[in-house]
Amino acid sequence: MNILKCLKHAFNMVIHAKLRSWLTIIGIVIGVGSVVAIMSLGSGMQASVNDQFGNLGGDILTLSAGYSRSAGWGGHFRPRDSSSANSDDDLTRTDLQVLKGISDIAYIDTNIRGNADVVYMGSDGTVSVTGVDQKVWSHVTTNEIADGRMLDSADQNVVVIGGRLASDYFDDPVLLNKLLTIEGSSFRVVGILDDTSTSIYMPLQTAYSILEDKERDVYDSIVIKVKDENNLDAMIDKIEHKLMLSRHVTEKDRDFSITSNAQINETRSEMMSSMNLFLTAIAAVSLIVGAVGVANTMFTSVIEKTKEIGIMKAIGARNSDILSIFMLNAAFIGLVGGILGVLVGTIFSTVIPMFMGSMPFARSGTLVTLDSVIIALTVSVAAGLIAGFIPAWQASKLDPVDALRYE
Amino acid sequence: MTLVKLQDVYKIYQMGEVQVPALRGITLEITQGEFVAIVGQSGSGKSTMMNIVGCLDKPTKGIVRLKGQDISRLSDSNLAVLRGHTIGFIFQQYNLIPSMTAFDNVLLPLELQEMNDAQARKQANKVLEMVDLGDKTHHLPSQLSGGQQQRVSIARALAPEPEIILADEPTGALDSKTGRDVLKILHNLWKSGKTIIMVTHDLNLAKYAKRQIELKDGHIIKGG
Repeated sequence: MNILKCLKHAFNMVIHAKLRSWLTIIGIVIGVGSVVAIMSLGSGMQASVNDQFGNLGGDILTLSAGYSRSAGWGGHFRPRDSSSANSDDDLTRTDLQVLKGISDIAYIDTNIRGNADVVYMGSDGTVSVTGVDQKVWSHVTTNEIADGRMLDSADQNVVVIGGRLASDYFDDPVLLNKLLTIEGSSFRVVGILDDTSTSIYMPLQTAYSILEDKERDVYDSIVIKVKDENNLDAMIDKIEHKLMLSRHVTEKDRDFSITSNAQINETRSEMMSSMNLFLTAIAAVSLIVGAVGVANTMFTSVIEKTKEIGIMKAIGARNSDILSIFMLNAAFIGLVGGILGVLVGTIFSTVIPMFMGSMPFARSGTLVTLDSVIIALTVSVAAGLIAGFIPAWQASKLDPVDALRYE
Repeated sequence: MTLVKLQDVYKIYQMGEVQVPALRGITLEITQGEFVAIVGQSGSGKSTMMNIVGCLDKPTKGIVRLKGQDISRLSDSNLAVLRGHTIGFIFQQYNLIPSMTAFDNVLLPLELQEMNDAQARKQANKVLEMVDLGDKTHHLPSQLSGGQQQRVSIARALAPEPEIILADEPTGALDSKTGRDVLKILHNLWKSGKTIIMVTHDLNLAKYAKRQIELKDGHIIKGG
């Protein structure tokens, strides 16, 4: 029997067992829908994170007090204790001088960071304030200006603010040249960043006066822009070597860390991929349950159709004809389940973020990619075929005499 | 020309640890154009013989040749193809596929033989007309009487134009008038040149056949 005729008979099997077929299809729909929804939420989250952090420059190094063995997000980072001002591992002017002595460094930006109370037009909040070296910040930062300008060397009581702080943090949007009250002092907004942060950036010396627990000439981090991005590893080694000498520490008791944005990007990407894989694996369990449903339906179908299989064999059906009909039946269930699953998954991945407004993916939306659709359909058909194979094989191997006798 | 030849055929069923012989050394030849009735009491081995003659089953011992081919040496698929082309089955309980219309039931063996669509449809209509069911082609088996269902079954058996029609108790589920009608059809088919092998326990029906083979306890006791 040719494949089209087999397909016709497979389709008729589905049509004549409507309820059972639909129940089986629902199993696949749930499985595929979960996989698609999870994958698209994951893609959306990844896109959102990339959007926020993706353009971190590869030529930027960050020097921090405290030491992380892996120097990455997953490492055992021992941060500088902010309460222990004057401790030995602080980053100070001495470190800055050491760095200034390294010829391959293009810019060095010294930072301090803390939280501060901010009031704007009667509404208030606590946000992160970063003091930066305004002379070099615009060269080092990966942030871009949406409106206004960056800080410059003559600035004092001015700030540049994050995009979200400007747009929806306070009751009223913060416009350019408006005044923000930070820890009781007024600051004029000269720039709004093109990002989704609520951060405030101000000149370093001004920040020392705002963040009272910060000691002058002690930095939370030093951001370094190297001249040659391709020589990053050698530069890290060189900086580490010089700093260890000046700070009188060895590899064993070193008290500072250098992280590169390239490293952070890589770690972040690995973390997102692992998380996506983990979530997809959880969703895939429901697909496996769906496939077991297909197998169950197919076994029932073979038992129910035993006599018909005997009749077909008596009138000339080959084993391969029976096998094809049952396999196509299973594949058809898988395909219909897959298509509906993609639709349901897409709908869910569109609806879920509406109920999770503050989650990262909710801001950039979810992303049903062509890849995930193709994978979902392929997996659902494959699940149908795998689940249907043993029942179909059993059907094809039925003895015609026994099958005809079956009641 | 010999169509079916059985040489010293045994069929033994294993029932747990006990061996139950259903056929014991059957030797038989059926030539083209014969109308043969295989008769016998219940348990005589006639159903087993029908299965073996119809290539639905293989003997435990001995040789069965269909159109000269030893069926024991054929693969399941080749046997299915040979069966489909050579033998048309008519069953006591009609054995129609309930979800298919009369037309689709008749079309099925032609689809299995991969006959061209237009030709297959024409042939299916032709055989349904032949059994006076031209107006019932789109009826499901459940919408037909027993006699009509058996005529659909005959049409299905005739559709691939087989040389042998193998009828297993073809009137067993029908009233006597409808049974006579079915026998009339079989008789006409025989007259048209088909080889008819009919299995029955009813000696009155067997009289319609030109040769009667009687089985008892797995042996041929008459007409072999």
